[in-house]
Amino acid sequence: MQKASVCVLRMEGTNCEYETVNAFKAVGADAEAVHIKQLSEDASPEFRRDLEGYDILAIPGGAAGGDYVRAGALFAARIRATVGKEVDDFAESGKPVLGICNGFQTLAELGLLPAFGGKADAEPVIAFAANASARFECRTVRIRHENKGSCRCTSRVPAGAVLEMPVACGEGRLISADPDFIGRLEDNDQIVFRYVGPDDGEAEYPWNPSGTQSGVAAICNPAGNVLGIMPHPERVMTRFTHPAWTRGYASEQGDGRAIFESAVGNLLK
Amino acid sequence: MSARNLMIKKDVPFSLYEADLLDAAECDLKELSDDMGLNLSSDEMKAVREYFKSEGRNPTDIELQSLGQAWSEHCCYKSSKAILKEFVFGIDRDDVLSRGDAGVVEFDEDHGYALRVESHNHPSAIEPYGGAGTGVGGILRDVICMGAQPIALAAPFCFGPPDLGEELPKGVKHPRQLIAGAVAGARDYGNRCGVPVVSGGMFFDDRYTSNCLVNVGCFGIVRKENLTNNFVGGPGEVMILAGGRTGKDGIQGVNFASKDLSSADEDSVGKVQLGDPILKEALIHACLEVIDRKLVTGMKDLGGGGLSCVVGEMALDAGCGVDVDMETIPLKESGMAPWEIWISESQERMMCSCKSEDAEKVLEVFRMWDVEATPIGRTTDVPRSRLYWEGTKIFDMDLVFLTGGPVYNRPYVLPKVHSKAAEVFPVLPGHEEVILSMLSDYNVASKEWAIGQFDVGVRAATVVPPLVGRINEAGPGDAAVLMPVPDSWKGLAITTGCNPWFTAADPYNGGRSCIDETCRNLVAVGARPDAFSDCLNFGNPEKPERLGELREAVRGIGEIARDLNIPIPSGNVSLYNESSGGGCILPTPMIVGCGLMDDVRKAVTADLKREDSMLYLVGETKDEMGASLLFRMFGGREGQVPTVDADNLKRLTDGLLKAMDKKLVLSCHDCSDGGLAVAVAEMCISGGIGADLDLAELGAMDTAVKLYSESNTRWVVEVERKNASRFEKLFKGAAKRIGVTGGDHLAVNEAAVRIPVSELRISWHDPLGDAMEGVR
Repeated sequence: MQKASVCVLRMEGTNCEYETVNAFKAVGADAEAVHIKQLSEDASPEFRRDLEGYDILAIPGGAAGGDYVRAGALFAARIRATVGKEVDDFAESGKPVLGICNGFQTLAELGLLPAFGGKADAEPVIAFAANASARFECRTVRIRHENKGSCRCTSRVPAGAVLEMPVACGEGRLISADPDFIGRLEDNDQIVFRYVGPDDGEAEYPWNPSGTQSGVAAICNPAGNVLGIMPHPERVMTRFTHPAWTRGYASEQGDGRAIFESAVGNLLK
Repeated sequence: MSARNLMIKKDVPFSLYEADLLDAAECDLKELSDDMGLNLSSDEMKAVREYFKSEGRNPTDIELQSLGQAWSEHCCYKSSKAILKEFVFGIDRDDVLSRGDAGVVEFDEDHGYALRVESHNHPSAIEPYGGAGTGVGGILRDVICMGAQPIALAAPFCFGPPDLGEELPKGVKHPRQLIAGAVAGARDYGNRCGVPVVSGGMFFDDRYTSNCLVNVGCFGIVRKENLTNNFVGGPGEVMILAGGRTGKDGIQGVNFASKDLSSADEDSVGKVQLGDPILKEALIHACLEVIDRKLVTGMKDLGGGGLSCVVGEMALDAGCGVDVDMETIPLKESGMAPWEIWISESQERMMCSCKSEDAEKVLEVFRMWDVEATPIGRTTDVPRSRLYWEGTKIFDMDLVFLTGGPVYNRPYVLPKVHSKAAEVFPVLPGHEEVILSMLSDYNVASKEWAIGQFDVGVRAATVVPPLVGRINEAGPGDAAVLMPVPDSWKGLAITTGCNPWFTAADPYNGGRSCIDETCRNLVAVGARPDAFSDCLNFGNPEKPERLGELREAVRGIGEIARDLNIPIPSGNVSLYNESSGGGCILPTPMIVGCGLMDDVRKAVTADLKREDSMLYLVGETKDEMGASLLFRMFGGREGQVPTVDADNLKRLTDGLLKAMDKKLVLSCHDCSDGGLAVAVAEMCISGGIGADLDLAELGAMDTAVKLYSESNTRWVVEVERKNASRFEKLFKGAAKRIGVTGGDHLAVNEAAVRIPVSELRISWHDPLGDAMEGVR
């Protein structure tokens, strides 16, 4: 069986590409970190890569370009200026696209999320504002799988399952000019994960680390192949990088694994 | 005659002066040094004059400036070298792979790990955000140029108290402003580069108010075949300058770092470098890629002294010289004099050398990463540095003379140390009040306000983070544990150890205690201490009492490290940490340590795990109250500073590691500031479980000594009841039963203590966050 091939896209300032590559490898995919220049004519033949040749596109976390403008804006602008059409085509072809943290912010800036109309939004519909605490927040959160079946990148995560994973960002508060965007996300089954509190109830700070509306931690596009997630599943592929594993655990598998298994597994069907 | 008149403009179409040194009167030499900002003494200037006499000509400004850099305390360690040589160099072990810009020690069969800590104190006092950020940037480069991927950072900082009044000496920034700036600077740089800050600490004392300390450590992992030299491969090679452009930022930074801070230094912002973490991020990738492709023969980072230091050192260490075409160096701005270009400390620059046939391939990799890289010179077989500006020679010096620098055996006086005989025990309030106020002391209280801003999990290799225990209700850990090699469970533990109050009261035992604490922290998570790096922050070495402190502390560190057979393959010395008013910092030997563990899945954390477990105190509690937190808080004076017995440390380390390997240990925490009482309280806080202590087994000491003595080589250990006898057997009496876990109070019967864990938590958790509320 041919392995799924994964393009983990990077530019200067993305900084989670290696662990994202390793996460895909851990579930049996072929993955490599690809600089955005390698997808364009800029690259010499030795470095040149073709996006269409990959099965999965992942945009990793970090601070692409320093995020000195607005989270994700620089990476999105760089993509739009070079391989925007290829990325749009990739998403529309139904192949999985995964954006983690800064990658989620980039997908939002690209209009690939929420993409209410089924195609990339011409202008970004959502954005990420500074955390309510006004600080970079690095902490562990609990997120509940709320998707009813549309999201292909979480198909192997049981409905209602609560996963534990780290979040690490300064701008994680999802906002939109559309006052009803949460309702629209719900109507389309585009909400994938919500933050929950220690008792699985509604999350308040710090369990909702950014103060994001309705506790939304991850969304997908209407077709379910594009997933944006704020916490970092690639950091918890094994139990032993969970923060409180020394207090006891049921499985040596990390909670993030099922997301990568879903993305890769669906492809092989 | 003013020294300025000694400067003769040369008839060339760029800025170049000759200094009429040969004819200068002796009294003019020092003035010339001052006018040019060289910070060289009269005697040093005389040596320079002798050299140029032998060359039969006067020096150019760029030659003198270059000497000012090379001979600065910061670059040539002239006051400390003899002491370091006597005590800490040459603790040899076969598995030390390199003692380059960072030390590298064997990690496993295929890998080495790199470690180094250094200071960025003076820049941070002026501009804390930029100072801390470029401190991180500089230490990252030290690790990268070994060929190692940076995997972790440590950020130990020392400040004045956050609740200090608003009246401050002229030119001094409020501690809160320094704290906010330094934390933000390290955060933005470390987070953007994707390297987790996993260790550090904050030390607060009035004596840091005028001269804060910002130390940064970095750790890396390198495949053995990629271990890189910090020198060229031989003559006939190309030297390529990669990364940021050269500008006027950070000119004479090393001279600024090699004298006392003064209020006038508020205007020294130009001596502080400007960092660019995103350029650095790309530079890291590109540098590691040219190494991985075996395209370079050597690599070295541009730090203090800029090009003037790196070019000569890289060549000389291979017995070579170098010819540089200065006009090829890419600049940020026009109108820079050659000497400014040569000594600028602009950030994000790296020098590599390669065979001439590989130069184009090296440039191609840097182009791929959009990182500017430029061939600027060639190595020669004559050990001289020769610089040309469009063909005109402006610099021609013997590298041995230039980089040799003076070595001083300055006079010192041994410090008077605190003693038991002179001890004045403080009058204490009730023990409940003592314990709660200790937990609220800024030195003990939670640093979550800062740690929560660092991306501690990036790289997905953090097995034990700095805060441990329940999610969102964690407490202090002892050491971080990483698993740096994918698909391997082998672990690297990282920690910081320092007690500047011990060192002030008794430098020798203080130095030893810093090493003991570092070891304790590593052992507490299940790692065997393997290597140290030290950043020695002290005062003005020209004052005999300051130098005496340095000497004694270094003697303590070196002796114990040698007894433990643990090498110190890298380090840094930061002297002149004084303000012009004469205020000196606490003598602060900041130790970072690395430990190894075969299987991270056996790592132990400090949070109490279960109800009804046995609690043990491993190690001996002695009447050693000197410079303890108790004495500092409640007005005790003198007293014996804790000592260390290396054999005892080795024996108890072996016992604990064996117990952990057999999975007999549920939790473990070292006893440091605040002694046993604070250690147990912290374990309750992170575990959310109470403890009931009975201290009878500790013997007939005063209760306050049992609770608050900071004797070294001690750990509190939680053991399941069913494992108690197996555990005790490993220690032959050195593990004393001190109580059981359970309930929701910390209770100590003989001290009439019964405090709810929730109250312990609030006292410990809130102070720093409250103090920093709203500070930007």
